Amino acid sequence: MTQTIAEETVARLNGVDKIYRLGDVDVVGLKGVTLALRRQKFTVIVGPSGSGKTTLLNLLGCIDTPNLGTVEVCGQDIATLDDNQLSDFRAMKIGFIFQNFSLIPVLTAYENVEYPLLLTGVPAAERKERTLAMLNAVELGDKANHRPNQLSGGQRQRVAIARSLIKEPALVLADEPTANLDTRTGGAIIALMRRMQETQHTSFVFSSHDPQLMEWADDTVTIRDGEIIDMRRAA
Amino acid sequence: MNLAYTVSIAFRNLFRNARRSSITVLSVATGGIAVLMFGGFVANIFHSLETGLVMSGGHLQVFKQGYFHFGAGDPASYGIANYDEVMQTIKSDPQLGPMVTLATPQLTLFGVAGNFKEGVSRTFLGVGFIPSDRRKMAQWDRYDMHIPIRLSGMTDEQTDVGIVGYGLARVLHLCDALQVKDCPQPPKKAEQKAAVDTDIQALASAEAQTAAQQTQAGDHPKIDLLAATSQGAPNIVSLTVLKAQNQGFKEMDEVFVGMPLGLAQKLIYGRGTKQATSVVVQLNDTDQLYQAVDRLNQLFQEKGWGLEVRTFHDLTPFYDQATGMFRSIFAFLAVLMGAIVLFTVINTMSMVVMERTVEIGTLRALGLRRNAVRLLFIVEGALLGMVGATLGVISAIILSILVNASHLTWLPPNNVERIPLRVNVTANPDLILWTWILLVVIATLSAFFPANRAARLTVVNALHQV
Repeated sequence: MTQTIAEETVARLNGVDKIYRLGDVDVVGLKGVTLALRRQKFTVIVGPSGSGKTTLLNLLGCIDTPNLGTVEVCGQDIATLDDNQLSDFRAMKIGFIFQNFSLIPVLTAYENVEYPLLLTGVPAAERKERTLAMLNAVELGDKANHRPNQLSGGQRQRVAIARSLIKEPALVLADEPTANLDTRTGGAIIALMRRMQETQHTSFVFSSHDPQLMEWADDTVTIRDGEIIDMRRAA
Repeated sequence: MNLAYTVSIAFRNLFRNARRSSITVLSVATGGIAVLMFGGFVANIFHSLETGLVMSGGHLQVFKQGYFHFGAGDPASYGIANYDEVMQTIKSDPQLGPMVTLATPQLTLFGVAGNFKEGVSRTFLGVGFIPSDRRKMAQWDRYDMHIPIRLSGMTDEQTDVGIVGYGLARVLHLCDALQVKDCPQPPKKAEQKAAVDTDIQALASAEAQTAAQQTQAGDHPKIDLLAATSQGAPNIVSLTVLKAQNQGFKEMDEVFVGMPLGLAQKLIYGRGTKQATSVVVQLNDTDQLYQAVDRLNQLFQEKGWGLEVRTFHDLTPFYDQATGMFRSIFAFLAVLMGAIVLFTVINTMSMVVMERTVEIGTLRALGLRRNAVRLLFIVEGALLGMVGATLGVISAIILSILVNASHLTWLPPNNVERIPLRVNVTANPDLILWTWILLVVIATLSAFFPANRAARLTVVNALHQV
């Protein structure tokens, strides 16, 4: 079944199969998934554990490749890119927000946020200006010189969000971004991302079980046993 | 990713597990200290051996062609008649002159030394030299080794005064007369020849008493030296023995006789033309050795003198054997230390990669290329090596200063007297530089394997590593 949410897409999967080999057993991650995700929207992928949410995010994030089918992100068929080109593509186009924040512990909040700009070769003066602006946008201007272990969970997640948005990517992928946060902090983080989406015109794709996050979604994709079983657009 | 930033991150990463990094750094430093201290000690051995040889026998000797292989059995036929001219040519040559500290004649001969009063004799190896030149030669100390100078006490004016080895003094029953310590006493003649007439015994006793009285009065014993002249006739000279001097090893100690050149010439050449078996040449610097050899060969060829040049390496094979042995031991130790550093850093970096797998995945997801990941870990290994090597160098320098200041002494093989135990670390900048470079290269190479493993991780697997 072809699942299309909108005409203007940021990513498109066509007949994608992903199978993992675990010892002698083949585990189906995704099976025949065809999907198009709308640009500049807040898409949430929901489903039980082991349903294929993370596999789908990995493929969208160009950190994994399908066994069958094609994956296009921002119009680029990722199968045509070699490892270095994929790295550069991710550096330019895709932002990641990890469940456990995954900040670099030896870098300060400022340096963590600045890091993606270093990878894309942004000049020093511009880097500084944009990094400070982004830190202020996530209300962490006063924590610029703090290392991750000196920040609370919510603050770390805001740094992670700032890091994912600093390069103004076309697509931000987040795997359970509120899973390790309390309800209040999670709500604040969602509001922040929503604001960023509006101001930076970025497309967000999340995997989540969080009902709070689903309430904010423009589009919701439900996945089970590696297959998409439902797609819904908010009213 | 710019290199300075990579270095900065790698440096900070060293402090994430400061204890482990410290142990690794200490391992590298220990390797460096061991190599530098032993290298410094070996350098000291080389310098002391070289200094000892150059002090006594110069850097090189000029012989008549064929002497080196056949002349020992027939010194008379291999003499250099124009040795004065040879020395003058060496000293006045514009290339050689500035290199040369001293050129002096030497005559080596074999014969029989006898103390006929005691009725004892034995074969000897005699060396005739100019005492004042020997004193100058003994002052050579290019490496500041401060090896004690053993003066013979001979002077140019005393034409029949010489020295003998401890062993020869013992065999010729000169120990009492020369006041040689720890010298075994010969069996008494009375025990050996119980049947000797009492009159003769009385005479011998009186003579011995007179000899002892002469010694007490400051006179020195005399021995007779018998050798064949260049014409093949037996010749004999008398030598006043000034002192007995330890020659370092038994074989030489039991045959050595040092005498003025004139006396040796008188013994071998009689009234004939005075010759020398070699011209000993001492240079300012050992580095000039082969330059000097080339020039000497060129000069002798031009003059058609039929002379050949032998360096102290040729004349004393022990030097090359000893230095070769110490080089092998040093190489073995260096390889051992290198292996320890290699495995320590591999172990540390493997643990680092394992612990930081998720972080590697994160960096790769953010867009860091494989090569940049590889570089990050290699730089970490290199930094561990640099810090460890630098600490090792500093520690070795401090330790060497302490050792040198403690005035320890030791007795090298074939040496007569104890010499200062010194560890020449600071005097060997090449050793310091190469040890530092080697440690850093080993640490960097050690990091390469774990770094490569980090770079080859797939992003997905790395991110989901538990």
